[in-house]
Amino acid sequence: MPNTRVKNRIRRLRFDHNEMTQEELANHAGCTRQTIIALEQGKYVPSITLAFQIARAFRVTLEEVFQYEETSK
Amino acid sequence: MAPLQKRALYSLAIGIVWGIAIIVVFIAKGGVTAYTEDTAMRMIVYGLLIGGLLAYCIMMATLRKPGQVDERDKLIMSRAPIVQLWAVFISLAVWSIALTEIYWDQGQIPVIFPYLVFMSLFIVNVLAKSIGILIGYWREG
Repeated sequence: MPNTRVKNRIRRLRFDHNEMTQEELANHAGCTRQTIIALEQGKYVPSITLAFQIARAFRVTLEEVFQYEETSK
Repeated sequence: MAPLQKRALYSLAIGIVWGIAIIVVFIAKGGVTAYTEDTAMRMIVYGLLIGGLLAYCIMMATLRKPGQVDERDKLIMSRAPIVQLWAVFISLAVWSIALTEIYWDQGQIPVIFPYLVFMSLFIVNVLAKSIGILIGYWREG
């Protein structure tokens, strides 16, 4: 499956937050660890609800976690 | 492995064993003719069918605990019926062609076959759901 145009900094933010584990982030955000793995690999784009929950887990704004990249055809 | 993915894998294993068990009982007890006449055999087959279904339901019910299924799992589950639909459609086509070809000369199909078609589609449906979920995880990575 091709990578999506919505990029994220979840891996970077986890390390910036005392090397938070994927399991810990999943518990904070209310999803499974496998979803965090898929997000970090760019294989899944979360719903707006989950995106907010992840941003809230890091205490940052949504755009600090997720970025929408414009790509020309 | 996600909890739903694990359950789908176990369900597939149970479903295969379940299907094989019913086929083995069916063949060992004498096939279609015996099924019509032997009440004990019918009860064994019905028992296996209900037992397998209960095992599947109990396993899937454990997913109701909080944190077991998230939005990605739900998305994958929502796509599994496509596989179920195709599996049931192909099974029905195989049954229809086979029965028509075998009983063409008699001009009628033994009354027991609708039961067998129903039971087989039931098992195919459960297996296809598990396969659909596993395909979903495989595609989503």
